[in-house]
Amino acid sequence: MSLLIYGLINSVILALYTVGFSLTYGISGIANFAHGALYILSGFAAWTFMNAAGLPFWLSGILAVLISAIIGFVFYWVLLLRLRGIPLAELIVTFAAGVAILELLTWKGFYGIRYSLPVLVRGGVEIFGVGIDYQRFIVLACGVFLVVGLWLFVHHTRIGLAFRAMAQNERTALSIGIESDWIGSLSLAFGAALAAVAAMVVLPLGVMESTIGYEVLIYALAVAIVGGLESTLGMIAGSFLIGYGQIAAARYIGAKWMIIVPLAAIVFVLAVRPSGLFGKFKELEERV
Amino acid sequence: MAERDFRKKRLDRGIKARSDTIFAVASTKEILYLLAPRFVPVAILLLLPLFLESYWNKVLVYACIYGLLALSWDFLASCGLFSLGQSLFFGLGAYIAGALNYYFHLPTVVTIPVATLAGGVLCAALLSPVMRLRGVYFAMVTLMLPLLLMKVVETTGVFGGTHGLSSLAGFPHEMLAIYLAIIGFLVCLFLFRRIMNADYGLILRAIRDDDRSVMSGGINIYWRKSQALFIAGAAGSFAGALMTHHYQFVGMSTFALDYSILPVAAVALGGPGTFAGAALGSMILVPLSEALRALGGLRIAIYCGILIVSIILLPEGFFHYLARKYHQFERIEKIK
Amino acid sequence: MKKGTILFSIAVLITTLLIIPAGPAGAAKPIVIGVPTSLYTPFGRDGLKAVKLAVEELNAKGGVKVGSEKRPLKVVVADTRGGEPSTPVHDALMAYERLITKEKPDAIVIGAFRSEVLIASMDLVSKYKVPQLGTIAQSPGFQKKFMKDPKKYKYLFRVTTDALVDATYLNNTLDILKNKYGLKTAYFIYQDTLWAKAFSGLMSKHCKKTGWKQIGFDGYAAGATDFSPALTKAKDEKADLIGMVWDVPLGAGVFAKQYAAMKVPALLIGFIPPMASPMAVKTVGPGVEYAMSIEFPVGASLPLKKLPKTVDFLSKFKKKYGSLPEAAAVNSSAYDAVFILAEAIERAGTLDPDKLVAALEKTDYKGVSGRIRFNKQHIAVFGTKDPNETGVCVIFQWQKDASGKLRRVPVYPDFLAEGKIQLPPWMKK
Repeated sequence: MSLLIYGLINSVILALYTVGFSLTYGISGIANFAHGALYILSGFAAWTFMNAAGLPFWLSGILAVLISAIIGFVFYWVLLLRLRGIPLAELIVTFAAGVAILELLTWKGFYGIRYSLPVLVRGGVEIFGVGIDYQRFIVLACGVFLVVGLWLFVHHTRIGLAFRAMAQNERTALSIGIESDWIGSLSLAFGAALAAVAAMVVLPLGVMESTIGYEVLIYALAVAIVGGLESTLGMIAGSFLIGYGQIAAARYIGAKWMIIVPLAAIVFVLAVRPSGLFGKFKELEERV
Repeated sequence: MAERDFRKKRLDRGIKARSDTIFAVASTKEILYLLAPRFVPVAILLLLPLFLESYWNKVLVYACIYGLLALSWDFLASCGLFSLGQSLFFGLGAYIAGALNYYFHLPTVVTIPVATLAGGVLCAALLSPVMRLRGVYFAMVTLMLPLLLMKVVETTGVFGGTHGLSSLAGFPHEMLAIYLAIIGFLVCLFLFRRIMNADYGLILRAIRDDDRSVMSGGINIYWRKSQALFIAGAAGSFAGALMTHHYQFVGMSTFALDYSILPVAAVALGGPGTFAGAALGSMILVPLSEALRALGGLRIAIYCGILIVSIILLPEGFFHYLARKYHQFERIEKIK
Repeated sequence: MKKGTILFSIAVLITTLLIIPAGPAGAAKPIVIGVPTSLYTPFGRDGLKAVKLAVEELNAKGGVKVGSEKRPLKVVVADTRGGEPSTPVHDALMAYERLITKEKPDAIVIGAFRSEVLIASMDLVSKYKVPQLGTIAQSPGFQKKFMKDPKKYKYLFRVTTDALVDATYLNNTLDILKNKYGLKTAYFIYQDTLWAKAFSGLMSKHCKKTGWKQIGFDGYAAGATDFSPALTKAKDEKADLIGMVWDVPLGAGVFAKQYAAMKVPALLIGFIPPMASPMAVKTVGPGVEYAMSIEFPVGASLPLKKLPKTVDFLSKFKKKYGSLPEAAAVNSSAYDAVFILAEAIERAGTLDPDKLVAALEKTDYKGVSGRIRFNKQHIAVFGTKDPNETGVCVIFQWQKDASGKLRRVPVYPDFLAEGKIQLPPWMKK
């Protein structure tokens, strides 16, 4: 039973890591390698608002999400505008920006066990004999809310539809009056904001450290690749596969194999089914 | 507004137009024009170790090693394999050389060539299942594989586990290591340029541009791709083996992300596609990173900043920019 | 035009940054102490602070006497980034070598953070013949490599404990828990690195020998961020005690919070920095109550009434830096190392590395962490009996005092104890 429950929670955490990355890539084709850095940056930002400015957690959380979104937006106009269409340069620039953020954070002294966000509700309950803390419930709820909300947003709002248009065919989208730079920068802003939201609910589970940035990036890549980069369903499936895989490996093989699971999953899935589990649109021509 | 009325016009220099043809032999000036960009850097690189102190010589070796990785990246990219896992090549070579020396006490004369060849074969074998992938998907697999191997070493504890293998055989003289690195780097550079300009390279480049048409020409592209993987893998493994003996140590950090990302950064900075760009990029980036050590904690952040700015300002790469300045002149013209 | 100005301003920025760090020239030629370590980790940062504190104290007294001349001490620092698992060892070694060749330190203190870097740096240090007093890395691999060629590696010393000592302390505490408090079942979790594995392995072996029922001995990768499998196991199989050894702050933080949240009815003991640090109540919450941790050596973060030197060191530290050191390990060793070095220099009367090493070998110093002498493997001798004979460690437990405030109470060894071990109410049968 605990395998089921913690597997579920682990999967939702992975989905939260990925959702922003996958959104940005799905729309504008930019693999934002600064995703992990933005994630942890917003965590530290929230901490600073709380401890230096004395704001309550919910307010600092919202501010951190806003800041992250603005950074994502600015990233596009400052860093990526001149480089659109050169994947190599895009990748290196976003990665370097991410590393720069992480390094600046450590340099400013943001490391060590004092940096920890508080949980919203302390304590926990027992369900079917398995103890779970409330914070993990919040993670669960938030994950479901985000994925459903995102689906509704993309399918039923003006900007969302423009996003999808961009994803399907940039030129046609341009010709019907969707401005591609504007949508591209919005996609980065949304991705960054989602990373921050994930940080706000997941980070209180532990302490903060800038190396988490790399980890989140790797997990996000793993899930996105396994599921298929552009489909929401694939992303969910990918996070469940890896999430449960990890917990099961820890339980039955040995805890130290947990980290190997996602990596092995990627290599295996790509070797066997290159389009990912649920990759649809851009299936063969682009991947193989 | 004023900018709109003018445009930049680029024209080949006269000497370039003249020396483009076989008549180059006609004058010493033209021969110099052709040879200088090739010979001057080579000569500088070969003479440099004699004038540097020991620490900067280490940096030079480091630069050559990253240079080799960058070259191997560029080679793969020339046949359409966009890799993010140069550290796989590096780490395999390093571990093969290290293990041979540690467990069987083989001398460096044996371990380095064996590691180079075996590393190449292993790389090709490991990546062969995913060879049909393209673009970002191939990149992801190559990014993950070294991390996976690193975790495997950590978890299973093979080859010394987290502690690595230390006290390996070193080079009898430091200069030997330095020149081995430099010569390996130069040979690789000119060999790769040669290969790419020959018929063999033509096919590889054709695979990058349009693999279907190469297939319809009756050529087995997967066999070609695995050959390319072998060549690139051997170059990377040579770098790894060299590093292992130079530092007399090999550990799981040879699979670290640095060895994957920095070569790509070097290529992005220098300009892809010509090998010279990759070489130039690593010769700039590595000494820069060392010079920045004086700054302490901010080092990597500033390094990233410089990288970002230079890529944004010169998206084509340093080498292409320099080559253009060398061969062409520009003038502003009024638009009629 | 625009490009030109941008490039120009960058060039100016870089040159100014490169020029600034050049320090002022001193009057008497200072003795240079090199500190190559992973600065951006709690251990590295607080260790450096402790070193600077010690240097300041010595300089206030006029410096260290070399032969007939009194010379001040100077600290030069290099960030090896060795604490970050993603840093290549070669990169850390470059930083190390740069410090040695550029700054020409007369001795090195603190040294490598990760065992991997320590082992790899041993060849480098002996090549350049710089006496080194290492105070962080605890790997038993050090002794092993040292014994391979004691003559070559004679420049290397370790001032702090190693896993063996730490485990002895915990084993003795386990005995007490078993005999006096009737705990029977134990479950061990360790971070899958060599020193932690050796450490917890010793504990597990001891348990098997003394009749504990052991339900598991599980290694987690250092980057692990979810411990629910372990905690569920401990809960399902009714472990009385969870032994844990973990030094990477990230995983330990997650574990500490998860342990508190899942309400596992088992006593926690071991080395878990977030639960041992003075800030634990803030980081982990009131769940830290009853958790027991080892501090090695004494004086790293907990002032002990029965060892006035620890109180003295930590109050100086707090006065200078505003708060206690964060990590419950090795800070006092860094502080002691500087004094040991200064004393050896005075005895040797020279900075010549070989003579300095000979003087260091004869060290007999009573410092914050106890009495420090080196054995044949150049390791400081630690024991469990008497701080006047060897270096010592301490085990403490988070307990509520009369006013209901959580504080750390030393419970073992007896000559340091200020209270008795308390069992949590949910465990009393």
